[in-house]
Amino acid sequence: MCERCVVIPNRLGLHARAAAQLVRTANLYTSDVRIERLDGSAAADAKSLLSVLMLAAARGTQLRVRAEGEDAEQAIKHVCEVIAAGFGEE
Amino acid sequence: MSETHKEDYGAIAVSDFRAQAPARLHLQFLAGERGAMTRQITSPRIQKLGLALAGFKHYIHSGRVQLVGQSEIGYLAQLSTDARREAIRNLDLNRIACALITKNLVPPHEMIEEAERSGLPLLQTPLVSSEAITLVSEHLQYALAPREIRHGVLLDVYGLGVLIEGRSGIGKSECALDLIARRGHRLVADDAVEVRRIAHDALLGSAPELLREYMEIRGLGIINVRELFGVSAMSNPKTIDLVVRLERWAETGDVERLGLDEKHVKILGLEVPRVLLPVSSGRSLSTLVETAVRVHLLRARGTDAAQNFVRRHAELLQASEEDDGITVAKGHASRAIKT
Repeated sequence: MCERCVVIPNRLGLHARAAAQLVRTANLYTSDVRIERLDGSAAADAKSLLSVLMLAAARGTQLRVRAEGEDAEQAIKHVCEVIAAGFGEE
Repeated sequence: MSETHKEDYGAIAVSDFRAQAPARLHLQFLAGERGAMTRQITSPRIQKLGLALAGFKHYIHSGRVQLVGQSEIGYLAQLSTDARREAIRNLDLNRIACALITKNLVPPHEMIEEAERSGLPLLQTPLVSSEAITLVSEHLQYALAPREIRHGVLLDVYGLGVLIEGRSGIGKSECALDLIARRGHRLVADDAVEVRRIAHDALLGSAPELLREYMEIRGLGIINVRELFGVSAMSNPKTIDLVVRLERWAETGDVERLGLDEKHVKILGLEVPRVLLPVSSGRSLSTLVETAVRVHLLRARGTDAAQNFVRRHAELLQASEEDDGITVAKGHASRAIKT
């Protein structure tokens, strides 16, 4: 089990299109990928769109990305990169 | 890999025009039949010879059907024999695709002779000019429309023309069979669909004559849909409103997750909405196609579930940022899903 923390940096937060991008990224890997709010109020399967949207993560929300499986480390790295880059937005 | 091959149908031989024209026209050759194979009609618009007979030939278009009605026949009748022949010769009969005499009028024998001499197909119809013009131009519009053959199955699903495409062996015909046999939708064409751009914004799909009513199902061979499932399982030619593309899961690069952006495919220069469906075991394709059509119908009437959902989610995000309160956000989230 690997994990890493990341903060939502972009103005619009983890909105629908951003979530779709995140889910696509997670689906590139075979590992189970989960995302939790650091405050413990919600957790999601990173490969399920509706689940990720349920995180309701606005700008500044702290998230923890966990993964389990063969490519867990790469998966976490990639997913965190996508989030940290603000999904390509400002 | 291209699955289409273009056949630009910009012209039709007069002989084909006569053979394919609506039966109501009762087209008969009066003269010049030998030119019918070589002379080409290239425009669906029709002209009346009219003023050209009086010497004003400026606007004669060579690729159009030239109509000869009561006024032309009457004009010629009051000329002297010599003047009549002169007027007809002046038309430059080699340049005209064909002439059509309406109301079963009898043309002067000079006209028949000249047409025979130059190989100008001279046709006759019992219909009056106005009716003949409508029928002929409608038929030519169809016959001359740009067209191509597409590899796929065209169905009428809930009244919408749905073209199912995908590589051979992906299960297009099986999916279509399920939609026809178990769900009461209707077949237009299997395997090869003739697509015509019949207007600047409409594509009409039909079955090639030979394939009409037939499908090929692997393991069963060639079946006749009308005999097996009745005449209600067959549809007339249908406009193409939606393209559903089936792809193997592994080949599908970018599957739509949100359904916010409508994708299109270009057919004969027109953009047609396209849905990409990944195929894998456990996915009922016919249900997916039906649902895709329902979504499309709803969207066309202004209801877009994806957009509504995304708007609600955006409001939720905004609210949670303003409150900066976790419990509030969580409360919103669970409410958003329930309502």
